[in-house]
Amino acid sequence: MSRTLTIEPVTRIEGHARITLQLGDGGEVEDAKFHLTQFRGFEKFCEGRPYREMPALTARTCGICPVSHLLASNKACDHLLSVSIPPTGEKLRRIMNLAQLVQSHALSFFHLSSPDLLLGWDADPASRNIFGVMRQDPALAKDGIRLRQIGQTIIEMLGGKKIHPTWVVPGGVNEPLSQEKRDAMLALLPEGLEIAKRTYAFFKALVPKFQDEANHFGNQPTMFLSLVTPQGNLEHYDGLFRLKDAQGRILEDMVPPEDYERLIGEAVEDFSYMKFPYYKPHGYPQGIYRVGPLARLNNANTCGTPYADVALAEFHMLQESGPIASSFHYHYARLVEIIFGLEMMERLLKDPTILDHRVRARARSNRYEGIGVSEAPRGTLIHHYRIDDEGLITWVNLIIATGHNNLAMNQAIRQVADAYVDGNDLKEGMLNRVEAVIRCFDPCLSCASHAFGQMPLHIELRDRSGQLVDTLSRS
Amino acid sequence: MRTLIIGYGSPIRGDDALGPLAADRLGSADLPDHVQVISRHILTAELVADLVDKERVIFLDASVDAEPGEVRCRRLEPDSEAVSTMAHFLDPRELLAWCQTLYGRAPESYLVSAGISSLDYASYQLTPIAESALERMLEAVDRLVAEPNLETVDR
Repeated sequence: MSRTLTIEPVTRIEGHARITLQLGDGGEVEDAKFHLTQFRGFEKFCEGRPYREMPALTARTCGICPVSHLLASNKACDHLLSVSIPPTGEKLRRIMNLAQLVQSHALSFFHLSSPDLLLGWDADPASRNIFGVMRQDPALAKDGIRLRQIGQTIIEMLGGKKIHPTWVVPGGVNEPLSQEKRDAMLALLPEGLEIAKRTYAFFKALVPKFQDEANHFGNQPTMFLSLVTPQGNLEHYDGLFRLKDAQGRILEDMVPPEDYERLIGEAVEDFSYMKFPYYKPHGYPQGIYRVGPLARLNNANTCGTPYADVALAEFHMLQESGPIASSFHYHYARLVEIIFGLEMMERLLKDPTILDHRVRARARSNRYEGIGVSEAPRGTLIHHYRIDDEGLITWVNLIIATGHNNLAMNQAIRQVADAYVDGNDLKEGMLNRVEAVIRCFDPCLSCASHAFGQMPLHIELRDRSGQLVDTLSRS
Repeated sequence: MRTLIIGYGSPIRGDDALGPLAADRLGSADLPDHVQVISRHILTAELVADLVDKERVIFLDASVDAEPGEVRCRRLEPDSEAVSTMAHFLDPRELLAWCQTLYGRAPESYLVSAGISSLDYASYQLTPIAESALERMLEAVDRLVAEPNLETVDR
């Protein structure tokens, strides 16, 4: 008897989603799908707005990564202005982007994923949560809070204490950095780096315990897409596209962000409000690729900072050869990037030109089309606008980091379900592993679509006729 | 009494912006030195570190449970069961529970909220009824800030 198993909503991610597993007669998994169940339509309601409103407007897409949208949007506006922003303005934008990377990765690791990693996949769900982590390892929980606080404090020092900073503007930033703020930010970083290194060492020692999960959590051959520097190194703010295949061969390199449409197509499926980007030359769905910290580390030659490069070398040792394939190692990659973010912020803040007052280029729009690309915590973020003679938006395309990973997340669910789900004897630990593979990607569904609300977790097993066979609920 | 005021909500969803707008108004007012004000889109984990050294915290939020325009002021207690399924943001009671669990104490806390009537996307203005409620929210905050020992009040 064929049955459908539904997991709704997927917990400890940002946004609402549903997972369905189609089970065959013997209880084996026949199909798996990840559904984004809400629609928001930012691309449509931005039409008709002045392009200068776009950074502020699109930053509201998300309460957790507004800086990513702010930067990609302003870069698209820079393109519309046809200006090169002053070097100090660019460095200041980079610092804000890295501060967000640190705080966002900290949330994912310490608060969303640590309950599974610390307490175990099969632990009682009543205690397998952040409060369980606080009781078992309060120092780890405090480290997570402090790291987020450091990232958020730097963002606020740069952008002001408003919800969504308006300090980044088309052409650069609207205020130079004061020495007082520079010194205050620098004072935060050593503590942050100590926390990051301590956590990295803790997790590195833990990884061998999770070999089974590493083997089955989205351990799949895909391509990897990210920005890299012109030298092929780790990049988060600017740079050029690099695409590697599963064997590590570079298929595309040094591709200008403005050419993204040559690389990326967007397919639509009727079971999700999230699009399915794919690598155009390979077609859909063969053109599956991943973005985010795993892809960035797989694509980069080096990080370019001392501790992060040591950690990068150890990251590559997680597998005998080739790009690291398991999506479980997104966690590892996040910790490497936290170290990098803190080291690179210190380098930028110590740059002798960082207090320079020339931080903004001014111009009116000089083009009808602008494209801005940056690396958000979860992966490559693309903003593409068209405007009319009045500077009003006529068309918008946003390709969100989480969206790039849509095909890979669906494939990863199938792999985990194949390995762990027994449809004849449904256990909570199975359900948790299916959810946990999604948390490896740290999807931000609020960005990939968007809507807020609450639902209980409810799983139903139904037969082909729709008859309820079994249920599992979590309130 | 060291006091933290946190206004939270989405600034592009009409009346949901009541919390941050109220916080912005308070932030530009002449408040005593012991009162700190911040605005947030959502309540996030690092706010625990801001709570721990405070004696009183006042959360400002829009409410879909009250009648439009109705302003309520109620005491909040730490509650680890008040867990949001939206993992990137926290319920204020959950935030207090984080503080209690990690640091052994949570500040005396109040929620000042107002019932709202519009949550439209890409809406940047309060409805007239929410505008009116905002003024009464500010009055409620003034009372909380001025008086060291308030009983829970519903207005």
